[in-house]
Amino acid sequence: MARIAHGDQFAFSLLYDRLSGPLYSLALKMLGDASEAEDALQEVCLQIWRRASGYDPKQSSLFSWAVLLTRSKVIDRLRARGRRLRVVAASIENEPNPVEISDASTAETAANILDRNEKAKRVRSILGSLPPDQREAIEMAFFSELTHHDIAKQLNQPLGTVKARIRRGLLRLREGMRRSL
Amino acid sequence: MISEEQQDLAALYVLGSLDANETAEFEATMRKDSGLRALVNDLRESSAALALSAPDRQPRPALKQRILRDIAMEKSRDPGSSARWTSGLPWAIAAVLMIFAGFLAYDRVQLRRELEQAKNADPLASAKFVALAPANGAPTGAKAMVVWEPDRQTGVIRISGLPAAGSGKDYQLWAVDEDHKDPVSAGIVHVDANGVASVRFKPVVEARRVKAFALSLEREGGVPKAEGPILLVGSSS
Repeated sequence: MARIAHGDQFAFSLLYDRLSGPLYSLALKMLGDASEAEDALQEVCLQIWRRASGYDPKQSSLFSWAVLLTRSKVIDRLRARGRRLRVVAASIENEPNPVEISDASTAETAANILDRNEKAKRVRSILGSLPPDQREAIEMAFFSELTHHDIAKQLNQPLGTVKARIRRGLLRLREGMRRSL
Repeated sequence: MISEEQQDLAALYVLGSLDANETAEFEATMRKDSGLRALVNDLRESSAALALSAPDRQPRPALKQRILRDIAMEKSRDPGSSARWTSGLPWAIAAVLMIFAGFLAYDRVQLRRELEQAKNADPLASAKFVALAPANGAPTGAKAMVVWEPDRQTGVIRISGLPAAGSGKDYQLWAVDEDHKDPVSAGIVHVDANGVASVRFKPVVEARRVKAFALSLEREGGVPKAEGPILLVGSSS
């Protein structure tokens, strides 16, 4: 990162090779649209290039920092998309209860799923070992722009229950990651 | 000792699931509590690993070239970077020419960026709104609104008042585009029990000059070329 902060494009290229797959996969899972996921990744990469000198390894690992930037960009896009949908909804009179947006069948579909590396396998294995309600809650929180209030509403569960599921799930994920290191 | 309630908030904070007020309150508390800050950093590392659970996909190789070109443009306007290249007159001349070329290119990039920023500031700036009305004996209460973003080649359709398609049938959305002889399929749309659907769509091929959208009743699973009755239609002009 120090080299990138000094304008080393080759160092940036190496970093791109390392991070672009996981960050793109994250953006694609959240947005469900390949072209939008690429746009988001491009914005994140430029942000990394511009902010490289401000990165503090004591605060977080490079991967965590990049994931944070990516989620933030993607959530901006999801909220903008929500605003667009609200405009559509408002334009139709006698609005029934709101429904979720789904994808038309020709939109981006899931392709081959391959394990990226050992760490990805471990994460999936730990997630798989969590009680389903905890796993569902932390995945909803991580892969969407929903607040815990929205999640409680969607799951039709008390707010306290959802908070506890997310906390327990995340703490168990942390323990699992520690044990597997 | 970090209370369970604070642990709840720390977990929600790292996942970005607190609302704006809750986030501000939690950050104020965190500033005064080093133990809480350490927990947040710790949970942030664990939560970031969740990204690896997403199905493994790669961006197109062209994206890397696009990004490297953008950062090269940015670098060309950084005065510190040009100083490293000057060793002798030929290099100085080359550097000046490169900087000049960089400025020209930067102008274009800057204009593009400003346009992009304007679009981001108002996500509806480039969107087209198309109201679809009933046709061919569709229920009179049926209607739909399309928000179409030509730049992104995606849109959202919201339908109301349309009964279920029936056994062996599906509703299919079409983009009528000036560059294509036949309407371009934009996917199958399923309405719920209330006759409502909100669907994000993407035409199967690029449609840059869409002049209308239409919804037809087709065979189950959809057809490559429209053959059923058009039930809703609307012009984008």
